[in-house]
Amino acid sequence: MLIFTLRRISLFIFTMLILAMVSFSLSFLFPGKSVINLSGQINATPSQLITLNQNYQTDKSIISQFGSYLSHIASGDLGQSMASQSPIANEIAKLLPATIELSLVALFIAMSIGIPLGFIAAINHNKASDNAILSFAMVGYSIPVFWLGLLAILFFSIGLGWLPSAGQISLLFEIEYVTGIQFIDILLSDSPYKWQAFNDASAHIILPACVVSLAPATIFIRLSRASMIEVLATGYIRAARAKGLSSRQIIFRHAIRNALIKIVRHIGLQFANLVTIAMVTEVIFSWPGIGRWLIESIYQRDYTAIQSGLLVLSCFIFIVHILTDFIYAALNPLARGNKHGS
Amino acid sequence: MAREKIYQEEIFPSPFMQLWLIFRRTPVAMLGFTCFLFLIFFAIFAPLLAPYSPVEGHLDMILLPPAWHPDGNVSFLLGTDELGRDMLSRLMYGTSLTFGLSFIVVIISLVIGVIIGSLSALTKGFKSSFLNHFLDVVLSIPSLLLAIIIVAILGPGISNTVWAIVIVLIPQFIHITRYAVKEEFRKDYVLASRLDGASNFRILHYSVLPNIVERIMSQATLAQSTAILEIATLGFLGLGAQIPLPEWGAILANGLERFYIAPWTVYLPGLAILFAVVTTNLVGEGMRHALKLRKES
Amino acid sequence: MNLLDIRNLSIELETPTGRILAVDHVSLSMKEGEVRGLVGESGSGKSLLAQAIIGVLEDKWHVHADRFHWRGIDLLRLSIEERKALLCKDIAMIFQEPMSCLVPTTTIGAQLSEALDNKQFTGYFWQKTKQRKEAVIKLLHKVGIKKHDVCINSYPHQLTEAICQRVMIAIALAGQPILLIADEPTAAMESTNQGQIFRLLASLNQLKNMSILSISHDLENITHWTNTITVMYSGQFVEAGTTQQIFTKPMHPYTRALVDSSPQANLQIPVKSRLMTLPGSIPILKHLPIGCRLGPRCPRAQQACVIAPKVNNFHGHKVSCHFPLKKEPLRTEPSRKEALNKCDTEQVVSKEIF
Repeated sequence: MLIFTLRRISLFIFTMLILAMVSFSLSFLFPGKSVINLSGQINATPSQLITLNQNYQTDKSIISQFGSYLSHIASGDLGQSMASQSPIANEIAKLLPATIELSLVALFIAMSIGIPLGFIAAINHNKASDNAILSFAMVGYSIPVFWLGLLAILFFSIGLGWLPSAGQISLLFEIEYVTGIQFIDILLSDSPYKWQAFNDASAHIILPACVVSLAPATIFIRLSRASMIEVLATGYIRAARAKGLSSRQIIFRHAIRNALIKIVRHIGLQFANLVTIAMVTEVIFSWPGIGRWLIESIYQRDYTAIQSGLLVLSCFIFIVHILTDFIYAALNPLARGNKHGS
Repeated sequence: MAREKIYQEEIFPSPFMQLWLIFRRTPVAMLGFTCFLFLIFFAIFAPLLAPYSPVEGHLDMILLPPAWHPDGNVSFLLGTDELGRDMLSRLMYGTSLTFGLSFIVVIISLVIGVIIGSLSALTKGFKSSFLNHFLDVVLSIPSLLLAIIIVAILGPGISNTVWAIVIVLIPQFIHITRYAVKEEFRKDYVLASRLDGASNFRILHYSVLPNIVERIMSQATLAQSTAILEIATLGFLGLGAQIPLPEWGAILANGLERFYIAPWTVYLPGLAILFAVVTTNLVGEGMRHALKLRKES
Repeated sequence: MNLLDIRNLSIELETPTGRILAVDHVSLSMKEGEVRGLVGESGSGKSLLAQAIIGVLEDKWHVHADRFHWRGIDLLRLSIEERKALLCKDIAMIFQEPMSCLVPTTTIGAQLSEALDNKQFTGYFWQKTKQRKEAVIKLLHKVGIKKHDVCINSYPHQLTEAICQRVMIAIALAGQPILLIADEPTAAMESTNQGQIFRLLASLNQLKNMSILSISHDLENITHWTNTITVMYSGQFVEAGTTQQIFTKPMHPYTRALVDSSPQANLQIPVKSRLMTLPGSIPILKHLPIGCRLGPRCPRAQQACVIAPKVNNFHGHKVSCHFPLKKEPLRTEPSRKEALNKCDTEQVVSKEIF
């Protein structure tokens, strides 16, 4: 276990360095002076320029510049947004939890729909319901997410009027910002309309979460179907059948547990996929998350924001990967072997 | 003098022929394959087949609904957009942009990725481990995010989109080629070739590559469906094809402003994207299914 | 009364190119308290036959039989559920590679108590749990596992193969079966463990009068532990009889070849001479010969062998061959060279006729 932890930590540090290097090189690749890209102050007076140059050590070699960049990041200074001239770190701290909230709810929906459907498809292998579920999975995997979001808005918000189509919560409710995750904030606030706020927030999150969860749900269907088919073909299921257990008992007592073990690892890996899809969905549903902010920065050519946003998002995704690997290895001693590639 | 065959000879087809025979027997896969060929045909011959030009507008026929709607006009089969451009022609030209470019992107990244991957599979030791970790890192960044960043650096435009997606797909091909080549190298027939004195390159070219071609093909179909979706997404976000190019995602973004009064400008490009991706996925699934059946029989 | 009476059982496999007859009209019968061995090479369909009896084959296998009686009850008339209910209670099966036949994520104790019948416990919930635990410990003692505490709380991958096989036998015994089918139970073990398992099975047979159908590919090993033997080849019935008859006076050329290839029969061969085997190998499912499937390899094959032979009964010794070896006693020392010569002359004779 110790060696596994050390290897994972070394991989983590290595990856962070590479991500930082990529992000650092972006400041040179973007048009404009690199120091302005790093700091974000586009209207710098000459004296401010001199202080900036000293801060980021632009007169010394590349390695020391990289070193100063790392020290800036470590101290939490990600520069200023060129568009809004406010510190990026604060903006990201406000927006990242909203994206996490959306992704978590979408992951939960994807798991609760995808995994049981995959199991049902595997149990009725090669019959009509199996083919139907597989066709549904294929179509769900192929739909462009932005089109699905637009159709969902058209159908549910405008056509049927059941669900709102933009934002995280109705503007009438004034919920204080504590963690950024709306549901926790509602529970922590002492507004008299807590229950209505909760309902409203749920109504706001359902549509975007469902749109985001469709593609990962189809991947889960495929994964759980393959895993269950593999488990049902093993010797111990055959022996259990010979023991006299009914199909139902076998499935619920043994097959599901063994099949789930194989999928758990992939759940964490799907998170990265999910976050990317969430980015595009946030644009459509005007969800105040980091994806929408990043894309708007790209439109506005806000290079500092793009740089820092990329760094934060990639770090976040990689941390989730490593955590999932870690938790999985902690639970299952057989998985601590050598692994390369995802 | 003609002689009849007295003994019934069994025909033993080559593995590729076996794959094709099994593939041909699955009706759904053949349907996907025909639609795929259909799309390629459209992508190449769109300028000849489209009734109107995709960029000229007919200012007297703005926002016509499709022909089956009572207000529609049969000479504009799928309606027009806000500048009077015929939707059908735009979609046809868009095939060569979204679908055709995705095909080219996959072929370029396949060639580069397979070459780099198979060469890197020959390395051992520190270089190999370093490459492993590097690939791990690159593969863990989601492809769309990486593509968006590269486009942000290079600037918007369809040629930059193509390069961005090529750069994003290459690591996937490198990874799968490396993995497959390493797996084949552990097998006995490679050992036999090596004992015969074959050099690494010869083993690679003569023995290993023909055996991994199918896995690479199946990855290529997956990569193509990803590429189509990414070109469309980047077009939708305004980072890909710029106006007035009739790329499907861009057409969709264009129609977004008048979504409520002219919904067909949003439905039709989305349907086109869905059709292209489903076709590619059907071909890929059919190939994987045939591979599985061939292994079992 | 026969415990199990099967007549002309056939198992067909559905393939894209048609149906293949994997097991071709095999008959089997067992009495109470009998230990029968079912011998054949891998690919002879013996495991298929066992799985067809207990009913765990998948949907792609189709099973037909002329007669399938269990303790006098005609099973072909019952529906599949009734058949399964009846058979699962009275027949138990243990498999090869016991570790992979135990669920890897549950403890041994949980798997054992799952196999116990709920009706034999009385009383309230906590009393039932206690009784269950005691029954599990008793079962483990019955198969010879003394350290039941360690065993009950461990997972299958923490135990050795031999202990796992004992656990499997314990699970099989939990339902108090009348017939135990042992499908190559010792294939994955060393010979000391093999001996232990077989001794356990023999003691169970003597103490509880439990019949055992022991499937194996090793003829010599099985002759120590069985009363009667049935030999199969490539899905067809070859020979059946008491162990003494089969081993000392095999009538079918295949059984003869099996007996000849065992190490004991070859003790007197001169140094550096060839071992006695049949040429060729067992045919694959796609290319099965018509008629008697041993035809292409048999040293006594003639034109009549393209028709499947009927079963001839010589005083309880059943053979399925057109030209059985009737008058040759085996197992006398110089007889091997004579047997070789005889084989040659027979081959020469058959070739002339042909």
